[in-house]
Amino acid sequence: MSPATQEPVIRTRNLTKEYRRQEYHVYALREASIDIRRGEFVALMGPSGSGKSTLLHLIAAMDRPTDGEILVLGHDLRSMSESAVARWRNAHIGFIFQSFNLIPVLTALENVELPLKLTRLSRRERLDHAKWALELVGLGDRLTHTPRQMSGGQEQRVAIARALVTDPDLILADEPTGNLDSNSAKEVLTLLTRLNKEFGKTVVMVTHDPHAARTAGHVRYLEKGMLLPNGEVPEDWAPIHHVG
Amino acid sequence: MRNSLRNRRRSLLTIMSVAASLCLLGVLGAVYNNFYYSEASPHQALRLIVRNRVSLANPFPIAYRARILQVPGVEEAVILQWFGGTYKDARDTNNFFGRFAVEPERLFRVYPEYKLTDVERLGFERERSACIVGRKLANRLGFKLGDKLQIVGDIFPLTLDLTIRGIYDSANDNENLFFHYEYLNKGFGGGSRMDQISTLVIHVRSTDLVPVVSRSIDDLFRNSAVQTLTETEHSFQLSFLAFLGNVKLFFLMISSAVAFTMFLITANTMAMSVRERTREVGILKTIGFTPSEILRILIGESITIALIGAAVGLWLANALVGLLRNAPSTFADFSAIRMPNEIIWIGFGAAAVLGVVACFVPAWNASRLSIIDALRVSD
Ligand SMILES: Nc1ncnc2c1ncn2[C@@H]1O[C@H](COP(=O)(O)OP(=O)(O)OP(=O)(O)O)[C@@H](O)[C@H]1O
Ligand SMILES: [Mg+2]
Repeated sequence: MSPATQEPVIRTRNLTKEYRRQEYHVYALREASIDIRRGEFVALMGPSGSGKSTLLHLIAAMDRPTDGEILVLGHDLRSMSESAVARWRNAHIGFIFQSFNLIPVLTALENVELPLKLTRLSRRERLDHAKWALELVGLGDRLTHTPRQMSGGQEQRVAIARALVTDPDLILADEPTGNLDSNSAKEVLTLLTRLNKEFGKTVVMVTHDPHAARTAGHVRYLEKGMLLPNGEVPEDWAPIHHVG
Repeated sequence: MRNSLRNRRRSLLTIMSVAASLCLLGVLGAVYNNFYYSEASPHQALRLIVRNRVSLANPFPIAYRARILQVPGVEEAVILQWFGGTYKDARDTNNFFGRFAVEPERLFRVYPEYKLTDVERLGFERERSACIVGRKLANRLGFKLGDKLQIVGDIFPLTLDLTIRGIYDSANDNENLFFHYEYLNKGFGGGSRMDQISTLVIHVRSTDLVPVVSRSIDDLFRNSAVQTLTETEHSFQLSFLAFLGNVKLFFLMISSAVAFTMFLITANTMAMSVRERTREVGILKTIGFTPSEILRILIGESITIALIGAAVGLWLANALVGLLRNAPSTFADFSAIRMPNEIIWIGFGAAAVLGVVACFVPAWNASRLSIIDALRVSD
């Protein structure tokens, strides 16, 4: 059913993130090895504090691992400089947060245009792209609204437009429906599914919501920083049917 | 990026504090310039003022004039005797103005810029209790020709009953009252003040003779009991200020203390506004901005805001200087005060430096912060 090919776009081996501060010592992620192939839609689930966000941040190179290997789109993220990583992230990653993280003083159009400012596009082209992205998420009539003038669902759709406007290979979403009512959540999930199905984007989404997880092709579980083997569910986990 | 200008409350606060500090510096700079760097008018440049070497409070004999008039290059010498006293209610500063005893027939040869009709001038010269007042003063206090006024002496125990016979025009110094020295001298009635004056104003033939004449006059009395100090009108005004204390140092100290405090406050406001944006920095980084791009954006915005503040502040300072120029010169003469270009450039330069210095450390820290830490900061 999915157009996934054999080529892994994300490949981690024994990926580990440790936090150590004086007496405080915790493995946020412990020897996680995962392969995600192009065109897959993977949901990451697990209890709070199990390391889902940590894994997502490492994939987006927003954070550096303590140990292990990570290869994303063929790049060894650990060997890249911070500015090289920033450029790479701009070109290949679209990140969606639970709390939207729009810039409050900018309009929807300006927020979406922002990632394009780092490209060679002219202002005209940037605005055309940004408008197109906003129309895609159904906000073609809200271009000049600021985040404060929009509902949570609309804000999250602006954030999705911002994530997709650069035409990235990977869409990473950390609990994108966590702050939304069920209708808005449904719209957001529909959008992510469209991005995956129609545009062939690889999507990795962290979620607590079994309904949301069901939209994804695969579900992987984490527990106490450990990535459970494919198909395995934490012991006291409410049973959910997962597709794929 | 114009993000910064969108957060109105924060930017306005910063702009206002930069503006306030530059407005203050601008006005202080203009006042300082007015006192210490203004150029002498062509008439002023030809005048020298003779006084007792010891201080302005010590007089010297009128008899000196005869010898001074012998010095080559000296064309005329007029007594200019300051007379304090009070007019009406001294608590009202509107009633403050300069009162000087002069010799009418000599005054206009030394001060050719004082314009008076021939009729008024004759009226002034002929009557011992006549006086003339400047146009600006006349307008301020509603004086008309023929008005009688009384000045009650303080340092000089003498009451003057004067009649206004003329109203003179002049580009500056038009807020004084001049009356007959003879009236004052007769009033001393043979006391120790008789025939003693505190200042004599010399008119020199040409400006290149001014330094020579000044030296020659002082040399004349080098071995006398009472020695003189002859200086240009301009430096005389400065020594008059100095008479009140070390004004220049005092002035510089006040302005630098004020400037320093204001700069600290402003720097703090600017630094705070960068710190407030830590979360935004996290977002920009997630989107793909590099640390150096973020540093550039933050510093660029800080400079922009500082320059806008400077423009507002200096514009305001200029407006205030305009008000000073037209204000009554009760305590000091500001009739020629202007905003010097140097102050404008220094102001904008200082603002730009302030913009960089104030935000550099917080901007550097924000740009180096990890995305995860930056995003964790709540706004
Ligand atoms: N910056 C940090 N410093 C110290 N410990 C951290 C830091 N970030 C995360 N941790 C710890 O690492 C572990 C995993 O955190 P992570 O945010 O990945 O969990 P999560 O699965 O996303 O949880 P949630 O569902 O609540 O978002 C937690 O125990 C957390 O306390
Ligand atoms: Mg999380």
